[in-house]
Amino acid sequence: MRLPEIIDRLSLSVLTPALGFDSDVTGGYCGDLLSHVLAKATKGDLWITIQHHANVVAVAQVAGIAAILIVDGRLPSEETLARAKDGKIVLLGTTESAFAIAARLHTLLAT
Amino acid sequence: MSPRRIVESAVANGIDLIAIADHNSVSMVDTMAEVALAMDLSFLYGMELQTREDIHLLAYFDDSASCHGLAQAIYPLLPDRPNEPTYFGDQVIVDKDEMIVGSEPKLLVNSLDLGFNEAVALVREHGGLPVPAHVDRDAYGLIAQLGFVPEGVTFDLVETLTGELPAGFGDAAAICSSDAHQPDQIGQRTTIFNMNGATICEMILAAQRVDGRSVTACTKERRMK
Repeated sequence: MRLPEIIDRLSLSVLTPALGFDSDVTGGYCGDLLSHVLAKATKGDLWITIQHHANVVAVAQVAGIAAILIVDGRLPSEETLARAKDGKIVLLGTTESAFAIAARLHTLLAT
Repeated sequence: MSPRRIVESAVANGIDLIAIADHNSVSMVDTMAEVALAMDLSFLYGMELQTREDIHLLAYFDDSASCHGLAQAIYPLLPDRPNEPTYFGDQVIVDKDEMIVGSEPKLLVNSLDLGFNEAVALVREHGGLPVPAHVDRDAYGLIAQLGFVPEGVTFDLVETLTGELPAGFGDAAAICSSDAHQPDQIGQRTTIFNMNGATICEMILAAQRVDGRSVTACTKERRMK
Protein backbone atom coordinates (compact mmCIF):
# COMPACT_ATOMS: atom_id res chain seq x y z
CA MET A 1 0.00 0.00 0.00
CA ARG A 2 1.33 3.48 -0.81
CA LEU A 3 2.40 5.54 2.18
CA PRO A 4 0.06 8.51 1.51
CA GLU A 5 -2.94 6.20 1.73
CA ILE A 6 -1.71 4.74 5.02
CA ILE A 7 -1.13 8.23 6.41
CA ASP A 8 -4.64 9.17 5.42
CA ARG A 9 -6.41 6.04 6.62
CA LEU A 10 -4.60 5.96 9.99
CA SER A 11 -4.73 9.75 10.48
CA LEU A 12 -1.00 10.00 10.99
CA SER A 13 0.84 13.31 11.37
CA VAL A 14 3.66 14.01 8.96
CA LEU A 15 6.56 15.34 11.04
CA THR A 16 8.86 15.88 8.04
CA PRO A 17 6.64 17.82 5.63
CA ALA A 18 9.56 18.90 3.45
CA LEU A 19 10.15 15.32 2.35
CA GLY A 20 8.24 13.50 -0.34
CA PHE A 21 6.50 10.42 0.96
CA ASP A 22 5.30 8.38 -1.93
CA SER A 23 6.96 5.09 -1.07
CA ASP A 24 5.46 1.64 -0.91
CA VAL A 25 4.78 0.06 2.46
CA THR A 26 4.93 -3.70 2.37
CA GLY A 27 4.85 -4.52 6.06
CA GLY A 28 5.37 -3.25 9.57
CA TYR A 29 7.75 -3.76 12.44
CA CYS A 30 7.30 -2.82 16.09
CA GLY A 31 10.46 -2.35 18.11
CA ASP A 32 12.21 -0.01 20.51
CA LEU A 33 15.58 -1.73 20.77
CA LEU A 34 17.47 -0.32 17.83
CA SER A 35 19.87 -3.23 17.62
CA HIS A 36 16.93 -5.60 17.39
CA VAL A 37 15.17 -3.56 14.72
CA LEU A 38 18.41 -3.47 12.75
CA ALA A 39 18.48 -7.25 12.80
CA LYS A 40 14.80 -7.95 12.18
CA ALA A 41 13.06 -5.23 10.16
CA THR A 42 12.78 -5.72 6.41
CA LYS A 43 12.89 -3.28 3.52
CA GLY A 44 9.56 -1.55 3.02
CA ASP A 45 8.41 -1.93 6.62
CA LEU A 46 6.71 0.90 8.46
CA TRP A 47 8.67 1.01 11.72
CA ILE A 48 6.52 1.63 14.78
CA THR A 49 8.46 2.86 17.81
CA ILE A 50 8.57 5.16 20.82
CA GLN A 51 12.22 6.00 20.14
CA HIS A 52 12.68 9.53 18.92
CA HIS A 53 16.41 10.12 19.25
CA ALA A 54 18.64 10.79 16.26
CA ASN A 55 20.00 7.25 15.94
CA VAL A 56 16.65 6.00 14.60
CA VAL A 57 17.46 7.63 11.28
CA ALA A 58 20.60 5.56 10.63
CA VAL A 59 18.76 2.38 11.54
CA ALA A 60 15.92 3.26 9.15
CA GLN A 61 18.38 3.98 6.36
CA VAL A 62 20.30 0.76 6.81
CA ALA A 63 17.18 -1.39 7.09
CA GLY A 64 15.42 0.24 4.11
CA ILE A 65 12.45 1.24 6.22
CA ALA A 66 9.60 3.00 4.39
CA ALA A 67 8.99 5.47 7.23
CA ILE A 68 9.29 5.74 11.02
CA LEU A 69 6.06 6.09 12.99
CA ILE A 70 6.60 7.52 16.47
CA VAL A 71 3.74 6.64 18.81
CA ASP A 72 2.15 7.88 22.07
CA GLY A 73 2.30 11.46 20.90
CA ARG A 74 6.09 11.60 21.32
CA LEU A 75 7.87 14.11 19.14
CA PRO A 76 11.34 13.80 17.65
CA SER A 77 14.11 16.10 18.82
CA GLU A 78 15.42 18.88 16.57
CA GLU A 79 18.49 16.76 15.92
CA THR A 80 16.36 13.82 14.84
CA LEU A 81 14.34 16.02 12.50
CA ALA A 82 17.49 17.46 10.97
CA ARG A 83 19.03 14.03 10.44
CA ALA A 84 15.78 12.70 8.99
CA LYS A 85 15.67 15.56 6.52
CA ASP A 86 19.29 14.96 5.46
CA GLY A 87 18.78 11.22 5.25
CA LYS A 88 15.41 11.55 3.49
CA ILE A 89 13.69 9.43 6.11
CA VAL A 90 10.03 10.24 6.63
CA LEU A 91 8.95 10.66 10.26
CA LEU A 92 5.30 10.20 11.15
CA GLY A 93 3.46 10.59 14.42
CA THR A 94 0.37 9.34 16.19
CA THR A 95 -1.08 9.76 19.65
CA GLU A 96 -2.14 6.13 19.65
CA SER A 97 -0.13 3.38 21.32
CA ALA A 98 2.10 1.00 19.38
CA PHE A 99 -0.36 -1.82 20.05
CA ALA A 100 -3.38 0.09 18.75
CA ILE A 101 -1.75 1.52 15.64
CA ALA A 102 -0.02 -1.74 14.75
CA ALA A 103 -3.34 -3.56 14.87
CA ARG A 104 -4.90 -1.00 12.56
CA LEU A 105 -1.95 -1.08 10.17
CA HIS A 106 -2.00 -4.86 10.09
CA THR A 107 -5.68 -4.85 9.16
CA LEU A 108 -5.08 -2.23 6.51
CA LEU A 109 -2.22 -4.13 4.89
CA ALA A 110 -4.19 -7.36 4.94
CA THR A 111 -7.03 -5.91 2.84
CA MET B 1 39.37 11.08 16.82
CA SER B 2 43.13 11.54 16.63
CA PRO B 3 44.99 10.21 19.70
CA ARG B 4 47.18 13.30 19.89
CA ARG B 5 44.23 15.65 19.58
CA ILE B 6 42.39 13.85 22.38
CA VAL B 7 45.35 14.10 24.73
CA GLU B 8 46.05 17.75 23.82
CA SER B 9 42.41 18.63 24.40
CA ALA B 10 42.45 16.89 27.79
CA VAL B 11 45.59 18.73 28.86
CA ALA B 12 44.18 22.06 27.64
CA ASN B 13 41.10 21.43 29.78
CA GLY B 14 43.18 20.83 32.90
CA ILE B 15 42.35 17.13 32.99
CA ASP B 16 44.81 14.79 34.77
CA LEU B 17 43.25 11.40 34.06
CA ILE B 18 41.51 10.09 30.98
CA ALA B 19 39.94 6.79 30.09
CA ILE B 20 39.18 5.52 26.65
CA ALA B 21 35.92 3.62 26.30
CA ASP B 22 35.23 2.90 22.67
CA HIS B 23 32.01 1.17 21.69
CA ASN B 24 32.44 -2.59 22.02
CA SER B 25 36.11 -2.25 21.03
CA VAL B 26 39.57 -1.88 22.55
CA SER B 27 41.56 -1.58 19.33
CA MET B 28 42.78 1.92 20.21
CA VAL B 29 43.55 1.50 23.92
CA ASP B 30 47.26 0.73 23.68
CA THR B 31 47.94 3.55 21.23
CA MET B 32 46.00 5.95 23.43
CA ALA B 33 47.89 4.77 26.52
CA GLU B 34 51.22 5.43 24.81
CA VAL B 35 50.26 8.93 23.66
CA ALA B 36 48.67 9.85 27.01
CA LEU B 37 51.55 8.63 29.15
CA ALA B 38 54.05 10.42 26.90
CA MET B 39 52.30 13.66 27.85
CA ASP B 40 52.18 12.82 31.57
CA LEU B 41 48.47 12.21 31.55
CA SER B 42 47.23 9.37 33.75
CA PHE B 43 45.34 6.76 31.82
CA LEU B 44 42.80 4.00 32.34
CA TYR B 45 41.99 1.35 29.77
CA GLY B 46 38.32 0.88 28.98
CA MET B 47 35.44 -0.07 26.77
CA GLU B 48 31.78 0.85 26.53
CA LEU B 49 29.70 -2.29 26.14
CA GLN B 50 26.20 -2.24 24.64
CA THR B 51 24.11 -4.99 26.19
CA ARG B 52 21.20 -6.92 24.73
CA GLU B 53 18.81 -4.38 26.22
CA ASP B 54 20.62 -1.53 24.37
CA ILE B 55 22.12 -0.37 27.68
CA HIS B 56 25.57 1.18 27.73
CA LEU B 57 27.97 -0.10 30.39
CA LEU B 58 31.44 1.33 30.89
CA ALA B 59 34.28 -0.97 31.92
CA TYR B 60 37.54 0.44 33.28
CA PHE B 61 40.83 -1.42 33.78
CA ASP B 62 44.25 -0.64 35.24
CA ASP B 63 46.14 -2.67 32.64
CA SER B 64 46.03 -3.57 28.98
CA ALA B 65 45.91 -7.35 29.37
CA SER B 66 42.74 -7.33 31.49
CA CYS B 67 41.05 -4.91 29.11
CA HIS B 68 41.90 -7.07 26.12
CA GLY B 69 40.72 -10.13 28.07
CA LEU B 70 37.22 -8.67 28.31
CA ALA B 71 37.29 -7.63 24.67
CA GLN B 72 38.18 -11.16 23.60
CA ALA B 73 35.34 -12.54 25.68
CA ILE B 74 32.73 -10.22 24.18
CA TYR B 75 33.82 -10.21 20.53
CA PRO B 76 32.00 -13.47 19.71
CA LEU B 77 28.91 -11.96 21.30
CA LEU B 78 28.87 -9.07 18.83
CA PRO B 79 26.59 -10.00 15.90
CA ASP B 80 28.30 -10.80 12.61
CA ARG B 81 26.60 -7.91 10.88
CA PRO B 82 29.21 -6.03 8.85
CA ASN B 83 29.74 -2.30 9.27
CA GLU B 84 28.11 0.07 6.76
CA PRO B 85 30.52 3.00 6.47
CA THR B 86 28.00 5.23 4.70
CA TYR B 87 25.87 5.35 7.82
CA PHE B 88 28.22 4.47 10.66
CA GLY B 89 31.65 5.69 9.56
CA ASP B 90 34.71 3.60 8.76
CA GLN B 91 35.60 2.22 12.21
CA VAL B 92 39.30 2.79 11.47
CA ILE B 93 42.16 1.88 13.73
CA VAL B 94 45.03 4.37 13.67
CA ASP B 95 48.54 4.41 15.13
CA LYS B 96 49.98 7.26 17.18
CA ASP B 97 50.95 9.07 13.99
CA GLU B 98 47.34 8.86 12.79
CA MET B 99 48.15 6.40 10.03
CA ILE B 100 45.32 3.97 9.38
CA VAL B 101 46.49 0.49 10.30
CA GLY B 102 43.23 -1.37 9.99
CA SER B 103 39.50 -1.25 10.48
CA GLU B 104 36.92 -3.26 12.37
CA PRO B 105 34.71 -5.27 9.97
CA LYS B 106 31.81 -6.00 12.36
CA LEU B 107 29.34 -3.20 13.12
CA LEU B 108 30.36 -1.93 16.56
CA VAL B 109 27.24 0.19 17.11
CA ASN B 110 25.26 -2.92 17.90
CA SER B 111 24.18 -4.86 20.94
CA LEU B 112 26.13 -7.77 22.32
CA ASP B 113 24.27 -11.00 22.90
CA LEU B 114 24.76 -10.41 26.61
CA GLY B 115 22.29 -9.25 29.23
CA PHE B 116 23.04 -6.29 31.49
CA ASN B 117 23.54 -8.26 34.72
CA GLU B 118 25.72 -10.80 32.91
CA ALA B 119 27.78 -7.97 31.41
CA VAL B 120 28.40 -6.45 34.84
CA ALA B 121 29.56 -9.83 36.15
CA LEU B 122 31.78 -10.39 33.12
CA VAL B 123 33.52 -7.04 33.57
CA ARG B 124 34.27 -7.88 37.20
CA GLU B 125 35.43 -11.40 36.28
CA HIS B 126 38.05 -9.78 34.05
CA GLY B 127 39.21 -7.46 36.82
CA GLY B 128 37.41 -4.37 35.59
CA LEU B 129 35.27 -1.70 37.20
CA PRO B 130 31.74 -1.68 35.75
CA VAL B 131 30.05 1.73 35.62
CA PRO B 132 26.61 2.09 34.02
CA ALA B 133 26.90 4.90 31.48
CA HIS B 134 24.79 8.09 31.39
CA VAL B 135 22.03 6.52 33.47
CA ASP B 136 19.95 9.70 33.22
CA ARG B 137 20.11 9.88 29.43
CA ASP B 138 16.85 9.32 27.55
CA ALA B 139 18.37 6.61 25.36
CA TYR B 140 20.90 3.83 26.00
CA GLY B 141 20.99 4.56 29.71
CA LEU B 142 20.01 1.93 32.27
CA ILE B 143 16.93 3.77 33.57
CA ALA B 144 15.56 4.67 30.11
CA GLN B 145 16.05 1.20 28.72
CA LEU B 146 14.84 -0.85 31.70
CA GLY B 147 12.80 1.64 33.68
CA PHE B 148 14.51 0.68 36.94
CA VAL B 149 17.76 -0.59 38.44
CA PRO B 150 17.62 -4.38 38.28
CA GLU B 151 18.05 -6.58 41.32
CA GLY B 152 21.28 -8.42 41.73
CA VAL B 153 23.65 -5.63 40.68
CA THR B 154 25.33 -2.93 42.72
CA PHE B 155 27.74 -0.24 41.64
CA ASP B 156 30.36 1.91 43.33
CA LEU B 157 30.24 4.53 40.60
CA VAL B 158 27.40 5.53 38.28
CA GLU B 159 27.89 7.85 35.33
CA THR B 160 25.37 10.65 34.88
CA LEU B 161 24.84 13.63 32.61
CA THR B 162 23.89 15.98 35.42
CA GLY B 163 26.05 14.83 38.34
CA GLU B 164 22.92 13.96 40.31
CA LEU B 165 22.41 10.32 41.22
CA PRO B 166 18.91 9.03 40.36
CA ALA B 167 17.03 6.86 42.86
CA GLY B 168 17.74 3.17 43.04
CA PHE B 169 21.54 3.16 43.13
CA GLY B 170 22.01 2.92 46.89
CA ASP B 171 25.35 4.26 48.12
CA ALA B 172 26.98 4.66 44.73
CA ALA B 173 28.75 7.88 43.83
CA ALA B 174 27.72 9.83 40.72
CA ILE B 175 30.40 10.70 38.22
CA CYS B 176 30.35 12.78 35.06
CA SER B 177 32.43 12.28 31.95
CA SER B 178 32.41 13.89 28.56
CA ASP B 179 31.47 10.81 26.49
CA ALA B 180 33.30 12.82 23.85
CA HIS B 181 32.81 11.69 20.27
CA GLN B 182 34.49 14.87 19.00
CA PRO B 183 37.58 16.57 20.49
CA ASP B 184 35.68 19.75 21.37
CA GLN B 185 33.42 17.75 23.69
CA ILE B 186 36.34 16.82 25.93
CA GLY B 187 36.11 18.65 29.26
CA GLN B 188 32.38 19.35 29.00
CA ARG B 189 31.73 17.08 31.96
CA THR B 190 34.39 15.90 34.42
CA THR B 191 34.80 14.35 37.84
CA ILE B 192 37.23 15.27 40.58
CA PHE B 193 38.59 12.22 42.35
CA ASN B 194 40.37 12.97 45.60
CA MET B 195 42.40 9.77 45.84
CA ASN B 196 45.91 8.31 46.16
CA GLY B 197 46.61 7.26 42.58
CA ALA B 198 44.90 6.67 39.26
CA THR B 199 43.66 3.12 39.74
CA ILE B 200 40.24 1.55 39.81
CA CYS B 201 40.82 0.40 43.37
CA GLU B 202 41.40 4.03 44.42
CA MET B 203 38.29 5.09 42.50
CA ILE B 204 36.24 2.59 44.49
CA LEU B 205 37.76 3.80 47.78
CA ALA B 206 37.00 7.38 46.74
CA ALA B 207 33.40 6.43 46.01
CA GLN B 208 33.22 4.93 49.51
CA ARG B 209 34.85 8.03 51.01
CA VAL B 210 37.54 5.97 52.75
CA ASP B 211 40.16 7.97 54.69
CA GLY B 212 39.29 11.36 53.32
CA ARG B 213 38.95 10.36 49.68
CA SER B 214 36.02 11.75 47.67
CA VAL B 215 34.29 11.95 44.32
CA THR B 216 32.74 15.17 42.97
CA ALA B 217 30.94 15.16 39.64
CA CYS B 218 30.95 18.44 37.70
CA THR B 219 29.49 19.82 34.55
CA LYS B 220 31.34 22.68 32.87
CA GLU B 221 28.72 25.15 34.04
CA ARG B 222 29.17 24.13 37.64
CA ARG B 223 32.96 24.25 37.39
CA MET B 224 32.92 27.75 36.01
CA LYS B 225 30.92 29.19 38.91
